[in-house]
Amino acid sequence: MSVLLNISQVDMEFPTPKGSFTALKGVDLQISKGEFVSLIGHSGCGKSTVLNIVAGLYQATRGGVILNDKEVTEPGPERAVVFQNHSLLPWLTAYENVELAVKQVFGKSKSKRETKEWIEHNLKLVHMDHAMHKRPDEISGGMKQRVGIARALAMQPDVLLMDEPFGALDALTRAHMQDSLMEIQAELNNTVIMITHDVDEAVLLSDRIVMMTNGPAATIGEILDIKLERPRSRLELANDVEYNRLRSEVLRFLYEKQRKVEHITADSSAKKTNKDGQEKAA
Amino acid sequence: MKHLGSSLKRFKKNGIAKIAACVASVGLAFAGNQTLAEELGWPEKEELKFGFIKLTDMAPIAIAYENGYFEDEGLYVTIEAQANWKVLLNGVIDGSLDGAHMLAGQPIAATMGFGTQAHIITPFSMDLNGNGITVSNEIWEQMKPNIPKMDDGRPVHPIKADALKPVVEKYQADGKPFNMGMVFPVSTHNYELRYWLAAGGIHPGYYAPHKGDTSGQIDADALLSVTPPPQMPATLEAGTIYGYCVGEPWNQQAVFKGIGVPVITDYEIWKNNPEKVFGITAEFAEKYPNTTIRLTRALIRAAKWLDENNNANRPAAVKILSQSNYVGADYDVIANSMTGTFEYEKGDKREVPDFNVFFRYNATYPYYSDAIWYLTQMRRWGQISETKPDSWYVDMAKKVYRPDIYSKAAQSLIDEGLMDAKDFPDFETETGFKPPQKEFIDDIVYDGTKPNDYINSFNIGLKKGDVL
Amino acid sequence: MNTVITSVGKLFSSTAAPSQGQNILNNALQLIGIPMMGIAVFLLLWGTAAQNIDTSLGKFPGPAAVYEQFGSLYNEHIAEREKAAAFYERQEERNAKRVAQDPTYEPRIRKYTGKETFLDQIFTSLLTVMSGFFLAAFLAIPLGIAIGLSKTLNTAVNPIIQIFRPVSPLAWLPLVTMVVSALYVSPDPMVAKSFLNSLITVTLCCIWPMVINTSVGVASIDNDLVNVSRVIRLPALKHVQKIVLPASVPAIFTGMRLSLGVAWMVLIAAEMLAQNPGLGKFVWDEFQNGSSESLSRIMAAVVVIGFIGFLLDRTMLQVQRWASWDKSSASR
Repeated sequence: MSVLLNISQVDMEFPTPKGSFTALKGVDLQISKGEFVSLIGHSGCGKSTVLNIVAGLYQATRGGVILNDKEVTEPGPERAVVFQNHSLLPWLTAYENVELAVKQVFGKSKSKRETKEWIEHNLKLVHMDHAMHKRPDEISGGMKQRVGIARALAMQPDVLLMDEPFGALDALTRAHMQDSLMEIQAELNNTVIMITHDVDEAVLLSDRIVMMTNGPAATIGEILDIKLERPRSRLELANDVEYNRLRSEVLRFLYEKQRKVEHITADSSAKKTNKDGQEKAA
Repeated sequence: MKHLGSSLKRFKKNGIAKIAACVASVGLAFAGNQTLAEELGWPEKEELKFGFIKLTDMAPIAIAYENGYFEDEGLYVTIEAQANWKVLLNGVIDGSLDGAHMLAGQPIAATMGFGTQAHIITPFSMDLNGNGITVSNEIWEQMKPNIPKMDDGRPVHPIKADALKPVVEKYQADGKPFNMGMVFPVSTHNYELRYWLAAGGIHPGYYAPHKGDTSGQIDADALLSVTPPPQMPATLEAGTIYGYCVGEPWNQQAVFKGIGVPVITDYEIWKNNPEKVFGITAEFAEKYPNTTIRLTRALIRAAKWLDENNNANRPAAVKILSQSNYVGADYDVIANSMTGTFEYEKGDKREVPDFNVFFRYNATYPYYSDAIWYLTQMRRWGQISETKPDSWYVDMAKKVYRPDIYSKAAQSLIDEGLMDAKDFPDFETETGFKPPQKEFIDDIVYDGTKPNDYINSFNIGLKKGDVL
Repeated sequence: MNTVITSVGKLFSSTAAPSQGQNILNNALQLIGIPMMGIAVFLLLWGTAAQNIDTSLGKFPGPAAVYEQFGSLYNEHIAEREKAAAFYERQEERNAKRVAQDPTYEPRIRKYTGKETFLDQIFTSLLTVMSGFFLAAFLAIPLGIAIGLSKTLNTAVNPIIQIFRPVSPLAWLPLVTMVVSALYVSPDPMVAKSFLNSLITVTLCCIWPMVINTSVGVASIDNDLVNVSRVIRLPALKHVQKIVLPASVPAIFTGMRLSLGVAWMVLIAAEMLAQNPGLGKFVWDEFQNGSSESLSRIMAAVVVIGFIGFLLDRTMLQVQRWASWDKSSASR
């Protein structure tokens, strides 16, 4: 398969009052079309920074990102983002939130009817057709995240970027969401980069797991290929030898090779700042 | 219409009822309009706004409005109370007011350029007398021993400032400034208070505008400062000033409130002194000549009504003035001075039939000699900083006082039969100078044709050649 | 005060049996009964205190005297309306007569020249405050958005805002008056200068809470929402329209409510000082009149001013609840 997205020797430095802080150093990754890649690593390792650079929200200090033979210089709908905290506009209904994106991305190329059908189609895909005229404050966290995904999917992105999409959800809801995502993936075969903290989630969903070293100057430590059969079922996989081997690989990387010395409390507070992309604060 | 008018005239002659008289005058005005249209044109400006300060001497404006005299002239007038004399003057200058009830000194000073420079004229003098000097209870108690008493124990009037002099001296010896209030630097009240104080040997202080000193407190024994009329009683009550000179009802208000005692009226300082005038800009008079004559006509009629039949209409006038949009003080307070009496100490109510004169004694005619008297006082106290020739005084008076407009208005009223020629001076022979006047508290004679001689005749005050 | 009321409420509820009916009764008591009691106690205290305050204008007016004044102020209003009707009638007659004599004359009906009644003054004040407030909102909201969007602009403008914000209306007024007199010269002005003076003074004073709240609201928009806008590539104007404006609506309304409160206070002061028509002038005129009824009339005006201020705030709150997506912001 040809390379769709090329992250090439990316360095990222943030200016701080005490001088520049190197968050990323030499991050290099090639992703093929239709591939599902997870980024995993401890908080503060720069996963979100990588994602934001791909999204075009940040500009790499050195190196760059090439998508479809074009360099990424600014954000755009071909690299739609699903944010950790759903990021729905609270004053719009689920339908209107998706509509805002669809209208902006497709403009007049879709007729009124097509637009409507496309929005409804995407909401149906994430099982939100029953509540599409509700506002974010009227639906649950999981439902909000579904709408967020629908919005991203509705842009028909070349790469779907997901920043810990299920991080804020309870375990049961998260499992549901993961299953939904796999269903959608089976149908659409999107190219996806997903950040996660959750080892099970990474192994369950990914084709490759990219494990990042701890910052500062974080970079890619190891890359793990997940060659499990699809469709995958979490119940069957629970006793699968290969699954458990892959799982321990990741765990070993995280808790032996890249052990984080910081306290857990500091770790969790750092996680909250993630969404602002202030990884350096951790 | 003419028929109706004449039949009503007969009614009036028969003297049936006052109401009939009132209706008649309105009817007559309508009847008159036909002939008037040829001689006196329609008003160029019909909607007017006049300003006033809450004082009983604004009465001609209120009456001209309430009795419909303005409307008879085709004028639609809005009357609006102003915060103080400065705001009022600025209003007339900037055109937000078309005309206003003004201190006699205001048009003169404005035209001369003392304070704000603007050419203001007056075609109508609003009243004679009407002011008083009030001191606080505390000062009154200290003055009282110095005042001779009548058989019934009441003090002999007029009270001269001689009685106040020891009190002022005592305050000076104690190092306390003796503060008094007046309403405006070029107000009648300022000059009257100064005249009274100086006649009693108390120096009220000089102005020196050429040196930028407009406080008027140079060499002063008593320090005079500006307070707007309606706030006089409150300021006296607060102890900021020990006495003040102001128009009515603010002297009587002090009696009613029990916070002060009026010691003298301006009638006793200078019998039948000219007081307020109606001021408009020269530009207005030039631009709207018919309007100017018409508003003068309405004011003349109102003044006449106020004095008619030996003050018979005064209670009705007081009722109007006590409305909150005019003077607004209680009926009793206003009536105390408007109906021919004046209450000095509480309970000491005396007859002063001429305390407020609106029409008789040719009160409304703008005499040059009145303007010149104010100019002599401005020179006396340094507001005019250098000596001027007698001719300058006359020129200045003629620039501001406009008997020509007044005569036109009066003549048209006479022609229409609304007024009698004997109500007015003989316009053929009138020079605009009153004969020498003798009735001042210090017995100095004022001859308007000789201003410099008059200035030189005072003990206290700048004289010919003096420059501060 | 609040704690007193709640503790009084508790006193009542603790003695009541906890049945459903009793609860409703208790709630009604809490909602209506206790405020009514508070008012009654206040009136009693006021009445008693008033009895014991002697001013040079007589006793301080108690509730009864003020109540009476409301009646007479209303009657004055009616009487003035009758005078106005007579005025128009006379005017029409006069116009007709003049047209008969002078056919070139174009008769015009001039507005009644009589005094403004208390009710007129209330209306004038309301009109002025709303005009000043809307002008301020019209200027403040775009300015606040601009400041909120641009850190540079914020840094540049912030010191100016901080300096002008605490300036009392009374300090602005003379300047406004002079500037309006100088610049607003028209032979047939559409609105009175005094109206403009009050309006501009109100605007100058109530613009700041709106600018500050809007800019803070805009500046504190969730970064994710901005990122959403960037990802879907909303153009600048659409970004403001679709994201910035709705996101800062709660903050803007909070600012507007604060501003309206300021505007009402400022207006009364400005009217008082500048003798511009309205309730403030009414108070000042009555103070200057110094009649025996002045104090009770002023007190009546005070009650009305307070009541209108309260109503304005409530209205704004309702509008805020209705217009804002963040329902919790209205209780702030």
